Amino acid sequence: MLQRFLDPSVLAGISGLDLVAKTVVDGFVAGLHRSPDFGFSQEFAEYRAYTPGDDLRHVDWNVFARTERAYLKRYRGETNSILTVLLDASNSMKFSSHSASKMDYARFTAASLFYLAIHNQRDAAGLIVFDDEIRSYIRPSTRQGQLHRLLAGLEQAEPRARTDFAKPLDHFQQFLRRRGMVIFISDFYDSPEHIVRTIEPLRFHGNEVILFHVLDPKEIRPDFREPATLVDLETEDHIEITPEYVRDDYRKKFDAHVEALRDKARGAGMGYHLLTTDRPLDDALREYLSIRQGRD
Amino acid sequence: MGLFAPWFLAGLAALAVPFYVHLLRRHTTTPRPFASLMFFERRTQSSIKHRRLRYLLLLSLRALLFLLLALAFANPFIRRSAANMGGEKLVLLVIDNSFSMRAGTRLADARREALSVLASRRPTDHAQVMALGTGLQVLTQSSLDAGALRAAVDNLQPGDSRASYAELARAVRSLAGAVSTPIELHFFSDMQKSAMPANFSELALPANVSLVLHPVSKSADPNWTVESVNGPGQVWDPKKTRVQAVVAGFGTLAATRTVSLVVNGKTSATRTVDVPANGRATVEFPSLDVPYGFTRCEVRIDSADAFPADDVSLFAVERSDPRRALFVSDAADSRSPLYFKSALASTAEAAFTLDTVSAGQASGMPLSKYAFVVLSDLISVPASFESDLLKYVQGGGSVWVAEGAAAAHSARVPVFGGSVLESRYYSRTSDLFLNVGETDPSYPSVANTGRWAGVKFYFAVRVDPGDARVVARLSDQTPLLVEKKIGEGRVLLFASGLDNITNDFPLHPIFVPFVEQTALYLSGTERRSGSRAVDSYLELRNSKEQSVGVEVIDPDGHRPLSLKEATTAQTYQLTRAGFYELKLADGRHDVIGVNPDRRESNLEVIPDETLALWRGNSGTGAQQAAAQGSAEEQSRPYSLWWYIMILVFAAAIAESLLADRYLVAQQQEDL
Repeated sequence: MLQRFLDPSVLAGISGLDLVAKTVVDGFVAGLHRSPDFGFSQEFAEYRAYTPGDDLRHVDWNVFARTERAYLKRYRGETNSILTVLLDASNSMKFSSHSASKMDYARFTAASLFYLAIHNQRDAAGLIVFDDEIRSYIRPSTRQGQLHRLLAGLEQAEPRARTDFAKPLDHFQQFLRRRGMVIFISDFYDSPEHIVRTIEPLRFHGNEVILFHVLDPKEIRPDFREPATLVDLETEDHIEITPEYVRDDYRKKFDAHVEALRDKARGAGMGYHLLTTDRPLDDALREYLSIRQGRD
Repeated sequence: MGLFAPWFLAGLAALAVPFYVHLLRRHTTTPRPFASLMFFERRTQSSIKHRRLRYLLLLSLRALLFLLLALAFANPFIRRSAANMGGEKLVLLVIDNSFSMRAGTRLADARREALSVLASRRPTDHAQVMALGTGLQVLTQSSLDAGALRAAVDNLQPGDSRASYAELARAVRSLAGAVSTPIELHFFSDMQKSAMPANFSELALPANVSLVLHPVSKSADPNWTVESVNGPGQVWDPKKTRVQAVVAGFGTLAATRTVSLVVNGKTSATRTVDVPANGRATVEFPSLDVPYGFTRCEVRIDSADAFPADDVSLFAVERSDPRRALFVSDAADSRSPLYFKSALASTAEAAFTLDTVSAGQASGMPLSKYAFVVLSDLISVPASFESDLLKYVQGGGSVWVAEGAAAAHSARVPVFGGSVLESRYYSRTSDLFLNVGETDPSYPSVANTGRWAGVKFYFAVRVDPGDARVVARLSDQTPLLVEKKIGEGRVLLFASGLDNITNDFPLHPIFVPFVEQTALYLSGTERRSGSRAVDSYLELRNSKEQSVGVEVIDPDGHRPLSLKEATTAQTYQLTRAGFYELKLADGRHDVIGVNPDRRESNLEVIPDETLALWRGNSGTGAQQAAAQGSAEEQSRPYSLWWYIMILVFAAAIAESLLADRYLVAQQQEDL
């Protein structure tokens, strides 16, 4: 039943991002109980013999009472990670063919990731909002109120200007010095070579880089039955198109673009995930947990 | 092919509307936002081509709709020969049977030509026969029945009415508006000039009426006629009765004509008169010796022309004994009886025997034997006499009260009942005298006496008229002649005297007709009998005589009114020449002579140029004849309006269906 709340069109009707994130994650977690493949930091992993220097708080005193030996209780995920979300807030993210725009979807995804990371995984989470420059930066932290700050940052991230990965890249470098996970959420309207070449340096710091390619289904498969005039949301250029062109040439070009981006991203050791705005959000969360688990 | 209203073709400019809608306006659609155009290429040309192909049928229908609408307003027509028009033509035969068609063989010629046209028409042509007399009389309905049509022509009888070509044109215009087929109007007439209207535009015919004229008379025949007769309606003294007749010649040379006065079929007097060329002469018969009762008289001439029907003029007279009237005046008043009696005696028709008595003598006299009573300037009226007068009036009698200087001493007017408000001696004021300010010309007493111009009034009493009818007023608005209804009778108040002291009215010539008409009116014997003109209306009853039966016997001895009409008809139109016998609603019998309008006696014909103008053809007479002969070959405009409107309707329905389909498809796409 809670899975229904992962639907973006349902989430679009919820006003607060905190509630959206809680709804998504709770629904997602409820679905995970049936899966044996994933665990959480609160789950017991193993006992390890105490060695001098270990934190006494982790000693299992019950075992010590029975055996008079000191053992440390270890949990999965005990190793904390850092999650940084880079959110594209360019004008092209405004596009929508239904109730939830790409920007909404990106915000929901980011909010859910933050909630999952901070509330469930005790990870540090940060946010960088950019278009052709960095518009806001919230450094990763686990402090009290971090989730609230992140969600507020997402709320304020309104689409504007154009996408330019190259210009803010230098700033990314200085912000992402600690090893962690870097998730790019964008529609990636640029040449795949340029995108990968621009983002690839982040990988060299030991970060796990994941590209969440957010697209509207009508971007992938536009449905024009008669000629129309289109205007570019970023450049405001006008163009007249025909249904025949959209049906044939456009789709081929777009598919080739997605394919090239996926291949090049994966070739560069980055994760790539295509998210369409009509699909539930659990794909993104599942991807995050999968990579998070692999790092433990 | 042509257009009745070509200027409406300017509406073809509206054809630009569908092109604008289909080609230009659709390219101004609101751009749709899209995330990125990096995968698109411009394809503008193919876009326009695509739109054209898709809505070509709708565009064509809309353009056709505008085209047809413009054409419908322009009202196109094609010229079709009469032969090709099948049964879509009405052959309308109008035969003039007015009084002038009695001259010579005019009506027979007209009938013969009409039969010829009927025989030459195609069997599929509908035809209708009408007669032009008093109005346009429908003899048959539109029919293919040749027998019925021929019978209508054969049975057409000459009438006594006056023809009016304007009436013909008006009736045909009305008919043309009621029928959808073209009308071929054949008019058979003597083309009398006197039947033409004063304004030629009254002869205009609609476009779908083609006029073919068939003149049965080419030139004006000389004709003498008794143009008018001035004879009395009533006779009391045959030796004092004179009859005047005017003999007129139209297109005639100077000649001597013999004029006869015929009484009850017997010639009682004969005169000869010299009539100048194309002129008139008056002849007078000094006496009219007729027996008591109604007598049918006529004045006849020996014209020896081709139109004998107008050589006689009819009139009827009634001879009776003079009626008695009572004139009551003071013994000292010798002037008013003298003037009144003289005036009454000098009239030809108002024969009354006047009994002159004083007020004292009048008491106890049987008033019922008098036609009316005159109270002239009485100082006082005995109460018993006034009581008798009131009873007399309430029983239907009439009293004429003249208030002179002597009567002004009384506070009230006897019988009339009104109080005397004031006595005015204008001779003692700076005004010296007053004239009559206004009169009611509808009142019989003053109808033929003008406005009493020049009559000076030196004295008058002012009486409040109340509900009474004021017939005349002096220039200071003092009521001078007032009539009041009392019971079944009436009282007439003359607010001055009948002598030459209070006014100089008795010294004026109009005093005689005033006294005569007033006496006739008060006695209930207004002018009757005499003569009337054909087509005039006879009043059968007044508003108080409803549902009372009347009787009319026409010159043939028939009673033209049905029982219902005899009790309800207000008037009767005299359509025939001859003597009519009448029994009116008030019980009176009457006989009148009815004569045709003498303008029919002028046989001058309309010039050929005028006829050509009427026909809408400026050709000569020969060409006209040729045109008439080839009437079947003439081409006529045939309007295509109805066909175009049907196409407009069909195109509109097709456009609606197709546009609805496209609209639904577009809405689905938008969704």
